[in-house]
Amino acid sequence: MPPIIRIENLTKKFGNFTAVDHLNLEVEEGEILGLLGPNGAGKTTTILMLATVIRPTEGTAYVGGYDVRKNPDKVRELLGVAFQEPKLLWVSTPWDVVNWHAKVCGLSTQERKQRVREVLEALDMWDYRHRSVHALSGGMRKRVEIAKVLIQRPKIAIVDEPTAQIDVVGKHKIWRMLRELCDSGTTIILATNELYEADVLSDRVGIMHRGRLLVCDTPQKLKDSIVGGDVVEIQFEVEPSPKIIESLDQFKEVVKVIRTKASTLRLYLNKVEEVVPKIMSTLMMEGAVVSSIRMSEPSLDDVFAHYTGLTLEEAQKGGR
Amino acid sequence: MVIMRIIWFASQIAFFGLIASRMVAVEDYFRYYVGGLSVMTLYSAAVFIGFDIYEEAEHGVFEYLLSLPVTRRQLVLGRSIGGGLRAFIYVGPLICISLYVIGIVNPLNFLLALFSLFLFAFGVSGMSITLAVVIKSSDRFDILMGVLDALIVRLSTAMYPLSFVKEANPIYGWIANFNPVTYAAELFRWGAGVESILSFENPLLPLLGIVLFFGFFMFVGIVLYDKSIEGGGWR
Ligand SMILES: Nc1ncnc2c1ncn2[C@@H]1O[C@H](COP(=O)(O)OP(=O)(O)O)[C@@H](O)[C@H]1O
Ligand SMILES: [Mg+2]
Repeated sequence: MPPIIRIENLTKKFGNFTAVDHLNLEVEEGEILGLLGPNGAGKTTTILMLATVIRPTEGTAYVGGYDVRKNPDKVRELLGVAFQEPKLLWVSTPWDVVNWHAKVCGLSTQERKQRVREVLEALDMWDYRHRSVHALSGGMRKRVEIAKVLIQRPKIAIVDEPTAQIDVVGKHKIWRMLRELCDSGTTIILATNELYEADVLSDRVGIMHRGRLLVCDTPQKLKDSIVGGDVVEIQFEVEPSPKIIESLDQFKEVVKVIRTKASTLRLYLNKVEEVVPKIMSTLMMEGAVVSSIRMSEPSLDDVFAHYTGLTLEEAQKGGR
Repeated sequence: MVIMRIIWFASQIAFFGLIASRMVAVEDYFRYYVGGLSVMTLYSAAVFIGFDIYEEAEHGVFEYLLSLPVTRRQLVLGRSIGGGLRAFIYVGPLICISLYVIGIVNPLNFLLALFSLFLFAFGVSGMSITLAVVIKSSDRFDILMGVLDALIVRLSTAMYPLSFVKEANPIYGWIANFNPVTYAAELFRWGAGVESILSFENPLLPLLGIVLFFGFFMFVGIVLYDKSIEGGGWR
């Protein structure tokens, strides 16, 4: 199947400043593609270009086969966007906002009556449906913003930091709803600066930094791609013999073995989840008694650090 | 900006200085005046949508509107008609009062006049939107609307018959002659039956003027709305 979105050399300059720099990316139909990057990476600008809200300086993107430059009307028919900053009509209530959105997107009066309620209830906003949007907290406004794509069920949904300012329980609810939306056939682009959100929700993650896409793959492959990125610390009952160390070094996934204490070895390796069982059986055969074993997987943060030399947090602080 | 303010100020003084001295009593002037006032108020109310545009820019609502699955044409048309209708609702009571004062002579004429007032209000809203998205600064927009108010509202036949305006200054007369406010005011009075001092022999002429005015700003509005909002640069 051809990709549902194809981004080619997409570039946006604001004066001399390049916010998005020759971005190339393909999004497959039915997947959740995460765009992970610190503030200022260019995620929102990319999204606005895909949504035909701002015009690219250079390059273009094809959405459902339509060029965002040449056929913006066609592109918009496929899209639903939940913006980073909630765009609420400032004179209304959550009910008005969601109902109006559904109306513009072509839902019938009957459908709307039912779905507006469903969606607002699912987001815990039904009780606040007649409050003025002025009187809502930041998290509540974000919920109303998300409600737009949930009620619209577009072919392609773009959600920009969908759970920012929302509490943990709410985050999980929204992640589940987005997953359900995806399962019902919607392709989702998720922009986020939260590692965990990108990791749990995305089928593939593209890492952005300073307007550039550094790498894009499944979260697992990204983590695996860091050579020796997994760490396993094994503590033995007695000091391990050189033979044991040698046998551990034999595994092709093991990059390095160092002795951190007399009876403790630290292994830098890849594919920890496959290798550890093999290591355990080897040690058992060697008759070595293990008192404890600690594993840590690399996170997407390690992936980010691998490509930029900065952790996401550092990049966030230094971000523009 | 300062220059625009000065022009506005000067034009007001110059115009009123000249016109006021000629404000001799006109037969039936009160009914004439009431009709003109309704149209002027309608104009002011319809212009208001332009200020909404700035509020939308401030709240980032543009981005939302531009991302909706509707064409730019539908968007501008919808906004203009919405702004025009809102103006009608505001000015409706005033129109009713002026009708009571003037009294309708010919209902059929009046319906045509009402229709033209609708088009006029939509056109003014379209114009306001167009100018707002081109100017992109609410201060400058505010001033420009003042200048326009001076030029097209004062220099129309809303308050004074065309012959008066012409007498004051031929250029003023020329402006009044090609002015949607003139057309709307004339049609309204024609529709309500204030026949004594109509400037146009044939009511189709101002009607055509209003249709052109409406069509022009819809078209230009659609093109510019798209271009200038996507370009960004709102402050
Ligand atoms: N309209 C604009 N004018 C000037 N600079 C902008 C504009 N929009 C975004 N930027 C800049 O572009 C960069 C990328 O912004 P953005 O796309 O919002 O990043 P992200 O969504 O990844 O946090 C930032 O440095 C931001 O300041
Ligand atoms: Mg952003």
